[in-house]
Amino acid sequence: MISKPAFASAVGRRSVMLGGGAAVALYALRLPGTGHAAGTSPAVRAYSLVAERGRVPLVGAPYPETDVWCYGGRVPGPELRVRQGDRLRIAVENQLDEETTVHWHGLRVPNAMDGVPHLTQAPIAPGETFTYEFDVPDAGTFWYHPHQRSFEQVGRGLYGALIIEEPEPIPVDRDVTWVLDDWRLLETAAISDDFGNLHDVSHAGRVGNTATVNGRVPDRFAVRAGERIRLRLVNAANARIFGLAFEGHAPMVIALDGQPVAPHAPEGGRVVLGPAMRIDLILDMTGRPGGRFRVIDGFYEGLEYRLLDIAYTDAPPLRETPLDAPVRLSANPLAEPDLAAAERHEILFGGGMMGGMMSSMMDGRHMDMREMMRHGMAWTVNGVAATGHVHEPLITLARGRSCILTLRNETAWWHPIHLHGHAFRVITRDGAPTRYREWQDTVLLSPRETAEIAFVADNPGDWMLHCHILEHQAGGMMGVVRIA
Amino acid sequence: MRILATLVLGAGLALSAPALAEESATQATLYKSPQCGCCESYADYLRANGYEVEVVATHDLPLVKQQHSVPTALEGCHTTLVDGYVVEGHVPVTTLDRLLAERPAIKGISLPGMPTGSPGMSGPKTEPFTIYELSDEAKVYAVE
Repeated sequence: MISKPAFASAVGRRSVMLGGGAAVALYALRLPGTGHAAGTSPAVRAYSLVAERGRVPLVGAPYPETDVWCYGGRVPGPELRVRQGDRLRIAVENQLDEETTVHWHGLRVPNAMDGVPHLTQAPIAPGETFTYEFDVPDAGTFWYHPHQRSFEQVGRGLYGALIIEEPEPIPVDRDVTWVLDDWRLLETAAISDDFGNLHDVSHAGRVGNTATVNGRVPDRFAVRAGERIRLRLVNAANARIFGLAFEGHAPMVIALDGQPVAPHAPEGGRVVLGPAMRIDLILDMTGRPGGRFRVIDGFYEGLEYRLLDIAYTDAPPLRETPLDAPVRLSANPLAEPDLAAAERHEILFGGGMMGGMMSSMMDGRHMDMREMMRHGMAWTVNGVAATGHVHEPLITLARGRSCILTLRNETAWWHPIHLHGHAFRVITRDGAPTRYREWQDTVLLSPRETAEIAFVADNPGDWMLHCHILEHQAGGMMGVVRIA
Repeated sequence: MRILATLVLGAGLALSAPALAEESATQATLYKSPQCGCCESYADYLRANGYEVEVVATHDLPLVKQQHSVPTALEGCHTTLVDGYVVEGHVPVTTLDRLLAERPAIKGISLPGMPTGSPGMSGPKTEPFTIYELSDEAKVYAVE
């Protein structure tokens, strides 16, 4: 049952418009005079990012601005937009009071550029700068965020979108990014500073009370009748799973986690993104001029809310029937796993409330759940609650081998499981083959669900495999996959 | 009201429901995480013992605990407001009834953690339940 939100009147006083404004500023960040060698060498795109404190109008008047940690004084940080095959050189300056790193989520980068503190690099100390440099082999929608104390650093606003354009993009009228997030705000619009509290760690993570799109509590998204929009959704929230319904519209999913997928309507009409996941949609604006439609986030039953309104301008339709142009994206150059010859491993995710009495290993000692929780931990991978980024690998794979991992969620909670450095095909869920055999870098497991993922272990190094509910990760749900 | 951009669309419905309760039943409001099942079991246990329970699923449970000054060490899974008291976790009704009968000058009581065998929790009872007063001194209120 959905009724008008009680907060609607306050929201209605503002007129937050979501549009292309963010993208305009971004191009200004592309530094002039960077290497652009024709022929063999890729174009080098140089950027600088400063991780710093900032103050931003998350909620908007009459509420005060919110103190955040962010890149370049804004939330989200600058949208980096480059072409497939480019080389990125990104100098990250740390103006925070604590160490940080940047992880380029979903990009298949060399291990030393992956941004995992202690595992792939020394953390960037306050006042220091670290320069990341890597090629981008895949086109798609990606994002960047710290991997150091990420449950607080990401939760306070350190993240941004990273868009890799196809050499020949599919024709659309507008290419729009929505970076979704949610925040636990107090009445003053200040961020509640209870990061990492044990309740969040042991339950669903830090799910906030205020959802934002591109760093603002949104009111409406202005569209013109007849236009075709490529909408790139990025879930930057610590823990919230979004389940978006576009009332009166029929979005088509064309990419998951940046990787092209056979265009299809989302299951049940709802676009579900776990934390860290991305979904590219084709949205044909089939409403009439002046029309208004709600986008509802209905993932948590009984806690549905209106994210924003799609508001049609009065302009006459751009076209009377939807654009007749292909929406299927070209595949990225991913190695196809040989399932018949694949090496198989099972990875068990355990812990959390309602997980039964489990015994686990932490720092080499056996503990039960209650003792673990006294140490601030609540989750395990293969029976071990990991306390840092550096541990004995869960598995070691020979470089170039095809591999099938059975990911078994033995908990009563949802977990978006992210593997660094690779994309993988999700080939089965609870034993049934997936319809689209989708490539992902983060697979959302429902409570007690088992998924099989397949990939070629073609990127050497030690790679994190972890839950992207950042409180679950900090609470032990992480491990390392070694490719040697 | 807190800034709740994600405020429940159906909130009006949830808040208007409990008016039909029997006059004799003690009213309780139980705040819980949206996806936690053991809290629902505890609500059912209270209902079976004569309480009228409204369950409120909220992402803000840590803020609810802060608002009611529940010390971190005494946190339980869910937070129940009953007859002017804060009752934290899976407190058995024997002790809850005693609290409401004696009406001591304390904020409330807690059975911290989620001990197996406690009301709403599965498994056998493996040790006596120690119920604390909600205060920084964590004085024992009852053992059962």
